[in-house]
Amino acid sequence: MQRDVGSLPLAPALRARLIAAGFQTAQELLETGPCGLSKEIGISKEEALEALQVVRQECHGGAAGTAGGSGATRKCTALELLEEEQAQGFIITFCSALDNILGGGVQLTKITEICGAPGVGKTQLCMQLAVDVQIPECFGGVAGEAVFIDTEGSFMVERVADIATACVQHCQLIAEAHQEEDHLKALEMFSLESILSHIYYFRCRDYIELLAQVYLLPDFLSEHSKVRLVVVDGIAFPFRHDFEDLSLRTRLLNGLAQQLIIIANDHKSAVVLTNQMTTRIGQSQSTLVPALGESWGHAATVRLIFHWDNSQRLATLYKSPSQKESTIPYHITSHGFRDVQPPAVTQNVEGTEMNPRKRPRREEEM
Amino acid sequence: MCCSTRCCNQEMNWEQFDLNPKVVAALKKADIKSVKEILNLSGADLQRLMKLSSADIQCLLKTVSHALRRNSMLTALQLYQDHLTSQHQKLSLGCSVLDNLLKGGIPLEGITELAGESSAGKTQISLQLCLCVQYPYEYGGLESGAVYICTEDIFPSKRLQQLIEQQRKMRTDVPAEIIQKIKFGNSIFVEHAADLDTFHNCITKRISFLLTRGMVRLVIIDSLAALFRCEFGASDSVTKARYLQTFGAQLHSLSTRFRTPILCINQVTDAVSELEAAQGSCSVADNKVCPALGITWANQLLMRLMVSRVPQPERSPGAASHHSGSVHYVREIATSAFPQSYLFRGAAAISTWKSSAG
Repeated sequence: MQRDVGSLPLAPALRARLIAAGFQTAQELLETGPCGLSKEIGISKEEALEALQVVRQECHGGAAGTAGGSGATRKCTALELLEEEQAQGFIITFCSALDNILGGGVQLTKITEICGAPGVGKTQLCMQLAVDVQIPECFGGVAGEAVFIDTEGSFMVERVADIATACVQHCQLIAEAHQEEDHLKALEMFSLESILSHIYYFRCRDYIELLAQVYLLPDFLSEHSKVRLVVVDGIAFPFRHDFEDLSLRTRLLNGLAQQLIIIANDHKSAVVLTNQMTTRIGQSQSTLVPALGESWGHAATVRLIFHWDNSQRLATLYKSPSQKESTIPYHITSHGFRDVQPPAVTQNVEGTEMNPRKRPRREEEM
Repeated sequence: MCCSTRCCNQEMNWEQFDLNPKVVAALKKADIKSVKEILNLSGADLQRLMKLSSADIQCLLKTVSHALRRNSMLTALQLYQDHLTSQHQKLSLGCSVLDNLLKGGIPLEGITELAGESSAGKTQISLQLCLCVQYPYEYGGLESGAVYICTEDIFPSKRLQQLIEQQRKMRTDVPAEIIQKIKFGNSIFVEHAADLDTFHNCITKRISFLLTRGMVRLVIIDSLAALFRCEFGASDSVTKARYLQTFGAQLHSLSTRFRTPILCINQVTDAVSELEAAQGSCSVADNKVCPALGITWANQLLMRLMVSRVPQPERSPGAASHHSGSVHYVREIATSAFPQSYLFRGAAAISTWKSSAG
């Protein structure tokens, strides 16, 4: 009730008038009543009534919000946050090396951005995650559903079916090995059809459609409360052609990022974005950097860069609040996103990757 | 913009929306005419412009978004089971080995690139596609014609005539009377575009006219790189990139609007530095070539096919040879490339071809 008048969601002009008339808190407004208010600041009674309705709603909503966690004034200790985060779980990628560098998998409530050259496997990882998010809890999954927003038209459903079939088979193997009842029970529900029917696919053909879709997402997620993953593949594509006004682009992208952060937090879901790479021309040489410029770099909490080393695919964790920067190799097989097999090769690649010349020499010395 | 056919650019009659009359009045007063204008503004800007509360603005944004998107949600299962509109439909290449490699053929929506050295067989494949597209649906075609845009050479009409004559021998899977009925030559439209402006005009006006009339369901561009090689030096890379992005966007939009595959033929350059090898992302282990036009163009593609020619096909292992008339022998499909063939973006497949005519 002690809420500041300036923070109420009223029309800016009305807010200015209220403040000019000397109102400071919501409490005062409510006490004044509609008649008094209309006289005091010279607005019609209808307007005053409407304004008071908003104030009342805000105050009550706010009181309920502190418990529910949607209010702006939520307070919690770092310990609570830690516990909350640990309880949330991760979406595994089926590539244990990548899971390791991410600290367990793709985190819920965070934005993860995947950047990479065309053809390196960004969309493949997105499709893999859309399947993996549905793994039942008893198999270590989060038993969620996925929203897939496709701006490039690269979502290949046959490929998703391949990945889903492989994932179901994998879980069946686990169940056979352990023979536990809850495993078998969970498997009854976990089939190709159920996986595919819980991936909600939206095709956005330009940036206007993408913006509109993101405005509609909160309502959709409230209706489908099991969604734990929102994929936007790719964020850069609609913003990178026919866009003359770069300041508009930056503004729209920042707005989009903000909305996605709210979605990730409110609905406890992971948001995964893909971004293209572009060439930055320096003075002496040009380098490949993620597209959309510097300010976009702040949007994602976790940033992964996929790249090639000859014919080996590598993933580098480029930005993360909790994990250290590192690079791992991965493969894309007919079953989806996987570790590099066999392990002997893995060692080799890691060695050459981290320290191309010194590693073997050191071993000789020892 | 590319969405000219839909409502976002049009002037809207706001009364048709489920909006509070107060909001409609404010929209008119603020002189906001299209959905696009609304979505281009941030919530705070709208509040200021329309002098409304944030709750009203939220409601407005949701209403217009809903009007634009309607019910566009599909589950992956619907996509998977719906055989008519879904991705199951593909354009066959008229060669079972290649069709197997691509799981049925070329996807209908998106830009597919065919890159390779000269004489690797790029033009042969595209000519064959011009014919394949005219077959009935049950034989992998789209029952429509093709546009062939030439930018450097003249259209190889002689070779096309040879191919048309050979169709009965090449497509043994199709009954002879069906092949006889199709007037192959009549549905191939040839365009010449030697510079960027002509090309731009060609794809925005002429091609879109043909597509609207339903006369073609395949666009072949042979080749895009030639347009850029002569007009741009190394210093204009920014302008070049902008052109490529614009063309990419226009072709993409044509492809999705008409569910028409776009095939771009591209040349290859020798990969010089490590960086370029990373960009090309399709490094063949022994011979280092990468498609021209750089990463800006590669970002626009759905699928990239590399074709190359092996000097001694007899020695190559794992020969999956296939006889398709007297035209092509597919000698080998690099086994290491198989996982890559699942990759629908960039390096899709590396198949090696040899022309028996040579």
